[in-house]
Amino acid sequence: MTIIEGMTSGFLQSVSLGVIPYLAVGSIFGLVIGIIPGLGGHFAMAMAVTFLYTMEPGAGIAFLLGAHATVAQGGGLTAILFSTPGTGQNAATLLDGPPMRDNGRAGVAVGAAMASCFLGATFGAIVLACLIPFLRDVVLVFGPPEIFVLAFLALTFVAVLGKEDLIRSLIAALAGMLLAMIGLDNVTNTERFTMGSMSLSDGLSLVPVILGLFAVAEMFELWAKGGALARGVDKPLSARETQKQIFEGIGLAFKNWWLVVRCSAIGTGMGLIPGLGSAPAAFVAYGHAKQTSKSPETFGKGNVEGVIGPEASNDAVEGGALASTIAFGIPGSSSMAILLSGLFILGLETGPRMLNQNLDIVFIMIFTIIIGNLIGTLVGMFLVNPMSRATSIKSEFMVPVLMAIIITGAYATDRSMFDIGVTIFFGIIGLIMKILNYSRSALLIGFVLGFAVEKNLYLALLLKGPFFFMQPLPLALTIFTIGFLAYNVVMIIRHRRSAASPLTARKPNS
Amino acid sequence: MRRDFLKGAAATFAAVTMLANGGAVFAETAAEFYKDAKIKWIVPYKPGGGYDEYSRMIAPYLEKYTGASVEIENMPGAGGMKGANEIFNSPPDGLTIGIINGSAMVTNQLSEIEGASYKIADYNYLGRMVADLRVLVVGTNSPYKTFDDLLKSESDVVVGATGLGGSTYVDAVITGPAFGIKQKVVHGFDNSGDVRQAMLRGDVTAMWGSLGSAVQGVADGDHVIVAQSDVERSPLLPDVPSVFEYVDALPNAGEIKPVLEAWDALNAVGRPVAAPPGIPADRLAFLRDAFSKAISDPEFVGAMTKAERELSFVDGERMGKIATSATNMTPEVKKLIVAAVRGEI
Repeated sequence: MTIIEGMTSGFLQSVSLGVIPYLAVGSIFGLVIGIIPGLGGHFAMAMAVTFLYTMEPGAGIAFLLGAHATVAQGGGLTAILFSTPGTGQNAATLLDGPPMRDNGRAGVAVGAAMASCFLGATFGAIVLACLIPFLRDVVLVFGPPEIFVLAFLALTFVAVLGKEDLIRSLIAALAGMLLAMIGLDNVTNTERFTMGSMSLSDGLSLVPVILGLFAVAEMFELWAKGGALARGVDKPLSARETQKQIFEGIGLAFKNWWLVVRCSAIGTGMGLIPGLGSAPAAFVAYGHAKQTSKSPETFGKGNVEGVIGPEASNDAVEGGALASTIAFGIPGSSSMAILLSGLFILGLETGPRMLNQNLDIVFIMIFTIIIGNLIGTLVGMFLVNPMSRATSIKSEFMVPVLMAIIITGAYATDRSMFDIGVTIFFGIIGLIMKILNYSRSALLIGFVLGFAVEKNLYLALLLKGPFFFMQPLPLALTIFTIGFLAYNVVMIIRHRRSAASPLTARKPNS
Repeated sequence: MRRDFLKGAAATFAAVTMLANGGAVFAETAAEFYKDAKIKWIVPYKPGGGYDEYSRMIAPYLEKYTGASVEIENMPGAGGMKGANEIFNSPPDGLTIGIINGSAMVTNQLSEIEGASYKIADYNYLGRMVADLRVLVVGTNSPYKTFDDLLKSESDVVVGATGLGGSTYVDAVITGPAFGIKQKVVHGFDNSGDVRQAMLRGDVTAMWGSLGSAVQGVADGDHVIVAQSDVERSPLLPDVPSVFEYVDALPNAGEIKPVLEAWDALNAVGRPVAAPPGIPADRLAFLRDAFSKAISDPEFVGAMTKAERELSFVDGERMGKIATSATNMTPEVKKLIVAAVRGEI
């Protein structure tokens, strides 16, 4: 089957009556799962897999992947409107989404997020399609040395993330890396920081940590302060006003198309690398958006670019993440492992056999990502209005309801009571960090990347010796990383000097 | 309440008649019990992956033969031990069953790992889905083509493995020194897919793994299987030599053979389907019967064959014996295996 044949057949199947209803149901299902805090793509797919038995391969794959493709979109809605990351990959959206809501521009933020998601997903899908002829070679570019340097590069982005000062961000990032060390170490087979607890020996799961740090901390604060979730907004936006804002947001996403492309490229690139996940991609995209912005000082106060960047990248990840799954049947993440199980249940092979004989299935996946996100965007817009009204409900009613949803979400992924405790514990940590002005995003990046950094450093040292970074690609990446870091340090010092000079005196960091 | 009492009375009555008449009446009551009941099937790993796939594939067939609905519940944790504990300690009503990583649970018990609240010999087994046939694969991009090439290798063969003490690691450190292979075991990969990717890149040369995890790479031409772990060659791999064919030629065959046999016995435990101890005999008999029908259902076998997933069913009683015998080994052999599992080799 040639690529053109595969593409045509894949497209025709995707829009056929036998497939599109499943695709639509899957996408809406994914959207709703994404909206619920704590439930992410992994959960949506695990649920969807149960329904595959009687489906045709094309319908089944569209249903399954559709459910995975739209969760980030739903999660973005929750992040902007409720200051609660719907899924892990939306954590970066929290930096600028909720401030926009508090400025009375919730509709713009949501519109921009939805459109960016769609554009990012489309970008990722197109890249995947273009890579098909050399998919296997591309996936194999990344070995332990490359992944180590890339993960380290992503870590350095904590320097530019928040409005918090650098030292505190570094403290938070290192604390995050220490948290990643908790559990049974693969390399030495020793338990680290488990304090003899069997539940801790598997390490902390990402979902409860994110929910605690961001969602629960927000709930605690809201509870203490009282009032409605959306601060600084007297009454909810009217339906008409919301609609107007959504279209303005969509327009902004298209207007910032170059930013969307760059952030999507970051997302797709990081999606190609196994074990990094999509949460860091969104943060790196945010850092990139901030650094290249004309007005970086407005980031964190409600700059729409700070929503567009992460939302474009966290959906563009999908195209990259599919690469190793399709090319070799090697899943790069836990969601992709479920996708493989789904393909297995549907009786489909991956690897060269899929690329040669079932290319139409690959294109069904590609079109599922695009069409699924389009459906997600359209349906999501109808959800904005009722959801944004809820943000004006008094906290006495809102907090208990949201807390119940958050705790259920924390429990549901692994059905673990322990995770509920972790969520509440990190809720307290998150609140303390917020009060003391430590960056929670930096902690999260350290936590997510800590494991990848350690594991790949160890493997790189074992496989290539102490000078593993002297090979061409790792070397280039290392030089880039050092340059990037140096540039930022210089900028920070210069910024501090100008801040210290009396002419431009400003409020010192607390 | 009263209904429960009547049910209990009926069961007792049935049990008494069973003793007198044989199984006929008995099976009927158990069938009634399972009709429209809900069976919880625990998978001790996350969704995705071999254990999950096997469970999800057989679930509809188990529903067909029990009349109950089968609900898959993933309960990951502690390398499969959390789920195994959960099955062992669940109420013995015959409504909670699950698949376990038999070999790992045996070695956990042998090495007296903390947190194991099960006794491998005390489970009620419904049967085994698949034995853990271990295979050694080498990348097609490597200079080695056969097991003999590896034995003769002058330079270190880089063998990739997952965690220290994990099964891919244990295989390598048991067989490598036994046959005097010059090898360097690199562990620390996340999972077998991760090792496969490193092998494709040429970072590692060889790896041990289950047959199930190796078939795709073989079909794709990424790697070849050069050795297998069974004493007798598996019917699925008639042309691949077993490591046991090389033992007799060794100068210290007398010491090596018991170690390899113990290793083989561990692999034979494979992936059993287990129920907690103490479930009523009639329900156990019914479940065993339903499971053996489900796993030999032609439609199920067809689907698994098409997907190149191996099945090696043994019935529940035999499975119990296999599990018990896997724990019997001489002190010297046990010391070696425990050291391998703890990562002390």
